[in-house]
Amino acid sequence: MTPNTSASGPGRRSFLASTAVATVAVAGGMPLLAACGGSDSDKKEGTTSGKDAKKILPTFVAQNVVTPDIASKNGSSLGFTSKLVTADLKTSVSGKLGKGSTIKIMSPFWGSPPKGDNPYYKAMNDKIGANVVWQNQDGNTYDEKLGAVLASSDMPDVVVIPGWNMGGKIPSAIISKMADLGPYLSGDKVKDYPNLAAVPTDAWQRSIFGGKLRGLPMPSSYVANIVPYYRKDIFDDKGYELPTSAAEFLALAKEITSARAKVWACDDMKWTAFNSFGVLSGSEKPLGWNLVGGKLVYRVETDEYLEALEWTRKLYSAGVVHPDAKAQNQGDSGLRFTAGEVLIYNNDISHWWAKTTEQAAQNKDFRIDGMDIFGHDGGDPTLWAGAPASIFAFVNKKASKAVIQDVLAAANVTAAPYGTEEYMLTNYGVEGTHYTVKDGTPTKNDKGNLEVLNAFVMLASPASTIAHPDLPEIAKAQVAWQQRMGAFTKKSSFYGLQIIEPARYTNLSNDFEQLEDDIVRGRKKISDMQQAVADWKSQGGDKLRDWYGKLLDDSGSAQG
Amino acid sequence: MAAASPDPGVTRAEKRALHKALNGGGSFKVRFRRDRTLVLMTLPAVLLVLVFNYIPILGNVVAFQEYDPYVSDNGFVAIFHSPWVGFEQFSRLFDDSAFWDAVQNTLVLFGLQLVLFFPVPILLALLINSVIRPRVRAVSQAILYLPHFFSWVLVITVFQQIFGGAGIIAQTLRRHGHEGFDLMTDPGIFKFLVTAEGVWKDAGWGVIVFLAALASVSPDLYEASAMDGAGRWRRMWHVTLPALRPVIALLLVLRVGDALTVGFEQILLQRDAVGPGAAEVLDTYVWWNGVRNQDFSYAAAAGLVKGVVSLGLVLAANKIAHLMGEQGVYKK
Repeated sequence: MTPNTSASGPGRRSFLASTAVATVAVAGGMPLLAACGGSDSDKKEGTTSGKDAKKILPTFVAQNVVTPDIASKNGSSLGFTSKLVTADLKTSVSGKLGKGSTIKIMSPFWGSPPKGDNPYYKAMNDKIGANVVWQNQDGNTYDEKLGAVLASSDMPDVVVIPGWNMGGKIPSAIISKMADLGPYLSGDKVKDYPNLAAVPTDAWQRSIFGGKLRGLPMPSSYVANIVPYYRKDIFDDKGYELPTSAAEFLALAKEITSARAKVWACDDMKWTAFNSFGVLSGSEKPLGWNLVGGKLVYRVETDEYLEALEWTRKLYSAGVVHPDAKAQNQGDSGLRFTAGEVLIYNNDISHWWAKTTEQAAQNKDFRIDGMDIFGHDGGDPTLWAGAPASIFAFVNKKASKAVIQDVLAAANVTAAPYGTEEYMLTNYGVEGTHYTVKDGTPTKNDKGNLEVLNAFVMLASPASTIAHPDLPEIAKAQVAWQQRMGAFTKKSSFYGLQIIEPARYTNLSNDFEQLEDDIVRGRKKISDMQQAVADWKSQGGDKLRDWYGKLLDDSGSAQG
Repeated sequence: MAAASPDPGVTRAEKRALHKALNGGGSFKVRFRRDRTLVLMTLPAVLLVLVFNYIPILGNVVAFQEYDPYVSDNGFVAIFHSPWVGFEQFSRLFDDSAFWDAVQNTLVLFGLQLVLFFPVPILLALLINSVIRPRVRAVSQAILYLPHFFSWVLVITVFQQIFGGAGIIAQTLRRHGHEGFDLMTDPGIFKFLVTAEGVWKDAGWGVIVFLAALASVSPDLYEASAMDGAGRWRRMWHVTLPALRPVIALLLVLRVGDALTVGFEQILLQRDAVGPGAAEVLDTYVWWNGVRNQDFSYAAAAGLVKGVVSLGLVLAANKIAHLMGEQGVYKK
C-alpha cells in the first residue's frame, strides 16, 4: 500500500498485513475468538446485532475527500493508481483535537521499533495534540505477552489486539478491562471525529465486545485475502499454463517439480485448497458456522473440508511441495519463492506489491502474478467472506475522560483517507525528512523506512485502501483480483458479528489446525480427522451448535 | 559448617569452649552473633530463591481452580476470585491422550539422552585429557565448547540446511542421480535427531566438569600403576574412572531429577516439523495449553504433576547413589 523501496521489504502496512496473515495461517483453526466466565454486569458471551447494535454504532458519514480511481465492488478495497500531487492534498483534520494528555499504547510491532523521540512520532504528536508513547512488543510472539499485560494492574492506556491473538480468555479481559467508547462515538457523537465517522459500519459492528463499543477498528476487505501467487516470468519462459482445476494443478505441479534442480512446484497450499474446495472460513470460529438446509454445520464437519485436506495431502505425497515447507518452521515461503525454489505459493494480497518492489532492484526479470482461485472441479469457486475488521485498539477502562478523548483525536488523524495530508503523515511521515515525491510517486528514504513503521497505523484506519501510485498496474491487478473473487464470495451465517463463545467451549476446536497439518504431511490419516470431529461433537460441538442456533434465532443471519 | 577438629595446639579449655559453641552451647542469640557475617552473606541468595522459587510455588493453587486472571484488576488478586474446582483439572489431564503422548515422548527422549548423550562428555574428557600438547588441547577444547554458545534457532537451521529435504546432502545425492532424503521431518527418527543435536551443541560444554575432576587425579597414581605394569586401559579402568565416579554419580542424580525436562526451545522449534504426536514433551505441552490456549489452571495441573514426579525421581536417584556408596546430591 505504501510505495517504498526498502531492501528489507514491504512498507509497514503491507508488511503488517502479511505478517498478520502468516500468523493467521499458523493459528488458523486456533481460537480466534473465545469467551469467558465470571459474572459481571456486562454481557460476557454471545453477540450484539440488529436493534441493539444500532443504538451503539456510530453514524456513517462518508468522507469524499478523493474519489478512488477504482471504486469498491464486490467487497473489494478502494483502488488508487494515479500520481500523487502534494499540492492537491486535502486537510481532513483542522486544528488539534487533542488536549495534551500522555497516552501509553501497547501494540504489536513487526521489525525493530525506532527510538521514541524521533521526528515522525513528534510530527504525529504535534498533529494530534497529545503525547503518544509507544510500548511496542514483538508481533510474532504478541500472544505470549498479551495475557500477562492484561492481567496486570498496570495496563497501558491503549492496547492494540489483533483478532488472531484473541484466544482463550482474552475476550473476557477485553470486556472487563476496556472502556466503553459508546459515550464518545455512538450515533451522531462520532461526528466530532469526521474521519472515524467515515469508517465503514461493518468494521464498527465488529468492534462491539460484550454489548459495548470498545474497539477502534482497522477495516479490511472481506474478500479472501490469500492469493495463490506464481512466478509469471518463469511460467512465461517455460510455457506453463495456469491451472483451472485441482487436478490440473496437481499435474502442473508434477511437471514443474525437479528436486534435482532444487525446484519444487509449490509451498504449502492448504489455504488455497480450502478456498478452492469451498470450505467455510477458518479465520474466525463464528465464520466457520453456516446454516445449511435448516441445520448449522461447522467447517470441520463438511465434506469439502476433508476433500481439501486430501488434495493437499496428495501434493505432499507427490513430492511437489518444498521440503522446508514440510518442516514448517523453516524459513519464509516468500524467500523460497523469490529464490525460485518454489514457483507457486499462497500468501496475503499485500505480497503482490511488496514482492514486486522488493525484487525490483535485485532481480529485474522477477514477475509475480496472482492466479484466480480455481474451483476444484474446474467450475466457479465458492468463497466465504472473512471479517471486515480484525485488528482493534482498546482503551483502558481506568483511563480518564481526557485521555480517552485524546486517543480518539489520535485515531481521527490515523483514520484519515488516502489523498489527505493526514494520510501521508501517518503512512509516509514528513515530506523531505521521511519521503520524497518524484514524478507523482512518493518514495520513503532510509529514515522513513526506519521510523514510519507499524506504530500509528495500528490505532484506527480508513476504509480498506490499496494505493500504489508507484506501481499502478499492481494496484489495478490487486483490486481486480478482489473484485473477481468477490463475485464468488458468500457470507456465512454469522458474518460481520463479533461473537464470544461461552467459556467452556473456547478450547474445543484448538487442535484441528494441528491435525490438518499432520494429515496433509502424511503423519495422520483422514480417518483421524473424522474421529476428531466425532470427539468434537460429543465433547461439546453439538452443544455449541445449539448455542449458535439460539444466537441465530435471536440475532438473525447475515445471509438475510 | 565445616568446623574441623581443633588444632592440636589448643588448650583443653579452649577445646571445651569451642565444643560448646559448636554443639548448641549458647543461645540462638549467641550463635547468631557468631555467624552473622555468614548469615548476611547468604541473605541475597536466600531472598532470590524465596522470591523467584518459593513464593511462586504458592501459585500452584490455580491447578485446583478454574483460574481467570481477568476477573479482577490484577492477575494475583484474581486467584482469590477464581472458583475452586478440586481435582477436575487433573482428571481432565489424565483423560487427555495428548498428555500421555507427551509423557511417553518425554520419557523415551530422556532414556535416549541418558544412553546416547550422557557418556559422550566423559569420553571426550578422557580424550582431551590424553592430549599432551597444550596448544592442540586448547584449540580442540575451544572448538568443542563453541557450539554451546549458538542459539537453538541457529543449530536447527544448520541441521535443516545439511540434513533437510533440500539440504546439502540430499541435493548432492540428487545431483548424482540418487534419491534424496529428509531427516528433519521424519517422526520415526525425531528423537534420535533431537539427541544428536543436543550432543553436537552441548557435549563439549559438558566436558568441563569431567576435565576438572580429571585434573585432580594425582599423577603419582598413574606412575605407580605404570610401575606395576598396568597398561593404558588398566590405568584408565583402575585410576581414571574411579576418580570420576563421584562426579558421574552426582551428575547422573541431577540429570535424573531433571528427567522430565528434555529441552524446550529446541523441541518447540521443531514440533511442527514432525507433529505433536512425536514431538510434544511435557514442557511444550504446558506451554501450549497455558500460554497459547490460556488454559492456565490446566497447564498448572500438568506442571504440578511434572514437579511431583521429578521430585520422586530425584529422591530415588539419590537413594541409588547412596546404595552405590556415593555422596549423591545430599545426605541426611
